[in-house]
Amino acid sequence: MALLQEIQVPLLAVNDTTLTVVDVAYPNGQHIKKGDIILVFETSKTTYEVMAEVDGFVQYLCEAGRDYDVNQVVAKIFSTDAEVLKEPIAAKQDLTAQIQEVKQHIVNAWTGDTLYSVEALRLIESLHIDKSAFKGRDFVTRQDVEELKGINGIANKKIAAPPVTATPKKAIAPVDNSKVIIERLSSNKKREIEFLSPVQSTGLTSTINVTVNTEGIFVHLNRSLKYFKNSLLPVIMYETARLLQKYPALNGYFTGDGIAFYKQVNVGFAVDIDKGLKVLKISNSAEKTLADIEENIMALSTRYLDETLQLEDLTDITFTITDLSSEGVAFFRPLINMMNSGILGISAIDDKLQRCTLSCTFDHRVTEGKMVATFLKELANRLESYRATNHIYPVKDIICYKCSKSLADELGDVGFVKSITPEGKEGYICQSCLKGF
Amino acid sequence: MQSVSKTISHRIIKEAIRIRRVEEKFLELFSSGKLNGTVHTCVGQEFSAVAFAGQLKKKDFIFSNHRCHGHYIAFTGDIRGLLAELLGKASGVSGGIGSSQHLCNKNFYSNGIQGGIVPVAAGYALGNKLRGDDSIGIVFIGDGTLGEGALYETMNIISKWEIPLLIVCENNLYAQSTPQHINLAGDIVSRATAFGIETFEGDTWDPEFLINKAQGAIDYVRSSKKPGFFLVNTYRLNAHSKGDDDRAKEEVESYRNKDFLNIFSKESADYYNRYLEAINREIDELVDEILLESELPFENYYQHKEIVSDNNWSALESINKRQVELLNKFFRDKIVADDRTVFLGEDILSPYGGAFKVTKELSVLRPERVFSTPISESAITGISNGLALNGFKPLGEIMFGDFMTLAFDQIVNHASKFHHMFNKKINCPVVIRTPMGGRRGYGPTHSQTLDKFLVGIDNVKTVALNTFFDPAIIYESIFCEEHPVLVIENKTDYGKRILSNKHSHFLYERNDDAYPVARVRPAVSDPTITIVAYGGMADEMLSMLEAIFMETDLKPELIVPSLISQLPIDIITESAMATGRLLVIEEGSGYAGIGSELLASVAERVEGPIKMKRIAAYPVPIPAVKSLEHAVLPEKQRIVKEIKEIFG
Repeated sequence: MALLQEIQVPLLAVNDTTLTVVDVAYPNGQHIKKGDIILVFETSKTTYEVMAEVDGFVQYLCEAGRDYDVNQVVAKIFSTDAEVLKEPIAAKQDLTAQIQEVKQHIVNAWTGDTLYSVEALRLIESLHIDKSAFKGRDFVTRQDVEELKGINGIANKKIAAPPVTATPKKAIAPVDNSKVIIERLSSNKKREIEFLSPVQSTGLTSTINVTVNTEGIFVHLNRSLKYFKNSLLPVIMYETARLLQKYPALNGYFTGDGIAFYKQVNVGFAVDIDKGLKVLKISNSAEKTLADIEENIMALSTRYLDETLQLEDLTDITFTITDLSSEGVAFFRPLINMMNSGILGISAIDDKLQRCTLSCTFDHRVTEGKMVATFLKELANRLESYRATNHIYPVKDIICYKCSKSLADELGDVGFVKSITPEGKEGYICQSCLKGF
Repeated sequence: MQSVSKTISHRIIKEAIRIRRVEEKFLELFSSGKLNGTVHTCVGQEFSAVAFAGQLKKKDFIFSNHRCHGHYIAFTGDIRGLLAELLGKASGVSGGIGSSQHLCNKNFYSNGIQGGIVPVAAGYALGNKLRGDDSIGIVFIGDGTLGEGALYETMNIISKWEIPLLIVCENNLYAQSTPQHINLAGDIVSRATAFGIETFEGDTWDPEFLINKAQGAIDYVRSSKKPGFFLVNTYRLNAHSKGDDDRAKEEVESYRNKDFLNIFSKESADYYNRYLEAINREIDELVDEILLESELPFENYYQHKEIVSDNNWSALESINKRQVELLNKFFRDKIVADDRTVFLGEDILSPYGGAFKVTKELSVLRPERVFSTPISESAITGISNGLALNGFKPLGEIMFGDFMTLAFDQIVNHASKFHHMFNKKINCPVVIRTPMGGRRGYGPTHSQTLDKFLVGIDNVKTVALNTFFDPAIIYESIFCEEHPVLVIENKTDYGKRILSNKHSHFLYERNDDAYPVARVRPAVSDPTITIVAYGGMADEMLSMLEAIFMETDLKPELIVPSLISQLPIDIITESAMATGRLLVIEEGSGYAGIGSELLASVAERVEGPIKMKRIAAYPVPIPAVKSLEHAVLPEKQRIVKEIKEIFG
């Protein structure tokens, strides 16, 4: 007559303070043999089988489908069948406490429908969670969803997480057909939402903007550019790729209870020319020359327009750059793609102020403002180093609007004055015309 | 010097001398520092006391004022109790709590508030009349009290309702220090005549005449069962209180020379001195004895009681009846079954049955117990107080909660204090009901929730009805109360059915307290925010719970106290400690409100941080226009927004 083995909930991963019992192999009082699998646990990552260490009679103190704290006793093996039955009386005090503890950990059976908060719904939609995962709950908050998904470091505490499945989305905003006309989302748009939701929906992103002095930046740069003269995109991709090696946090993503750092830098650039918004990958960007990058952009853009993109052109992008400079924007807030922690936005060059805004949105769960600010400042400095600081204007092209004399023909040592002509245009005027002889 | 009557009984003269000597003794004791507080002596006015208080029967009653010692001695003969009271001893008539102005013994009551005692006395007399006995009452006022509105509200009612009360106005020509010609317009007696009250007049310089006239007035009130008004012209020979006398010496001197006892002391010095000596000996012996006595121990006066709420929760069921129907049914049952029940209020007679129909048909069931009053909130409340002191269970209705301010003196200075200031000799189980709350477009003076002004009144319970359970549960407890209760009903709740909007995701429960706490919790989840609301706001919150959850991502637990003058802090603290968030919503404005009290009390008890927030009406009068009224009172959008901002 003896208690031969006590089975406690094992500590299998630091983040799992509770485990789910997924299988109770035998009925209470069943005779079992050493080596029999008597219980199966599930962690957030794997399953774990518990084997009997001795022959005996099993008494379960748990139920399948429920969570138990680490170190809690969930089963016992006794030498005789009789003990199994007596056990609850013999250890009444203990058992009551255990049962109460168990009660705290189980979600009560709720047979009614489930009420979701707006935030919970939003997250469920964006993560494509099957709502049946919440069956048996009266209310579901965002936190409940996060707990289920293991977001924010909260382990899967309460119920087993079914896999993410692509179920048809349900409109959460009310629709009154008498007042609105519904246009179904295109599959491209849906995919876009899918890609942007995971990071943005947490609300834990922020954007930092810096300006780059672009005065004279293309004087030398254009000489190196083959296809994209007067475009900053290639050089920004070139410099960003190199900088990301120094700032690995921007070349990674948030996993829910940790941060994944990509081993390689694959900068992607966003294009949207009538074929839907896509991000195209320049693999191993940090190793490529400016010319390589330009070639790659050209080739990828061609494939995009020809619709001959390969899956590898679109996957494993570790950081994204989106260029809206051709749209004349002053600055904007780019949105981070799924499994990225940052995105860089390029705004148009302001010709009057001779500057351009760079905006970096980042996932605050992975990095923080100060680091990103340093990253952006360094990037701006690198770009500004391309400026032809002492550059000389082509003197032939500067002509006095009044007397048509070119600066090259000017004999004085004062130069011309930038002015507004009587027609309201910008122009130059020579000293003679301005002051008189 | 004029000569005094030789036919007046020496028993009466001795009584007057005794009163005067006691008063003079008080002044001596005050000068020697043995009296705490103040005294107002009636030296010069003694025969008024003897004429009225001395000629009442034991079953009659007296309400007196700040200058009450003479009345007390003449009515009760209890010099010892009076001396001990003013010397602050436990054996004093009010245990030393009341002192000079607050005496209570054998149907004698006094209070230091001018005018307020008149409706109380009227209520007491009404009680006697309802019982059908022939006892009457006298209320003493001074000419200074002629400035108080409560007096005229009451004169109107006692005349109209034929209440056997004799108002004795002791006209000593001064209101404290102010001579009458500065303060008083018109004629005194005409005031009573105008209300159709029989009037009488006499003076203290002819005691024999006064005594006979007083007896006549008493007999008139007793036999006719109608009120009377007696003007006694008199003069106090000492200051209003002690040293505060700015009257011309010549004037005072002329009245000293005219004073009966002064003349008697000279004309019949032998008698006078013999009486004086005996009375002095009596008083001195009493004082020597009393000075050795002990004072009331504090614990006999007040003991703190910790709030312990009941923790047995039972499920609440919907009742397919409007709150007003349930109230009306309860009152119908009570007015028939409970002989103590009396209803008073404006427009409460059938067929009208009150502005909100709560008292509908009560006057059909028992006409003699339902009094439709003039627009006189102070008198309604005061008469209710008097009925309560006389063993009845009066339910005064103030038509709109905003009008409670007009009844405030009666609640604060009378109802709330009687029990304690008379050293727990009497109880005042008065009930004042009033509807508060907006959302009906009644505008600034008919919409406000003034509960915060009421819950601060000590020893008065303030109860707020709600639509979570049958209001009869609360009123049944109120009928068992021995002390004042104010009941805040709610205009919009009257028409609502009990718990009509049950949502399957929540559990609806109440505990077993006399004034139950209702609770609404998520069916199985642990709540993540504690919301406290009461009265009409509770029903508003009930309909919002689902939306609050959806929009704020928090699982709400709603706690609804009904006894708001003693909040169930234990229950609320426990819940807030579990959720970490505490929100209190009130329909009145927030500054120094019930929410402030609640959060402070919880903060004193909790361990660990709890995020707290009050949401209340904005501190402006409630507009009549719908959109602005909606904006001023706590409404859904604002509540959701604030929850998100504070607790998000």
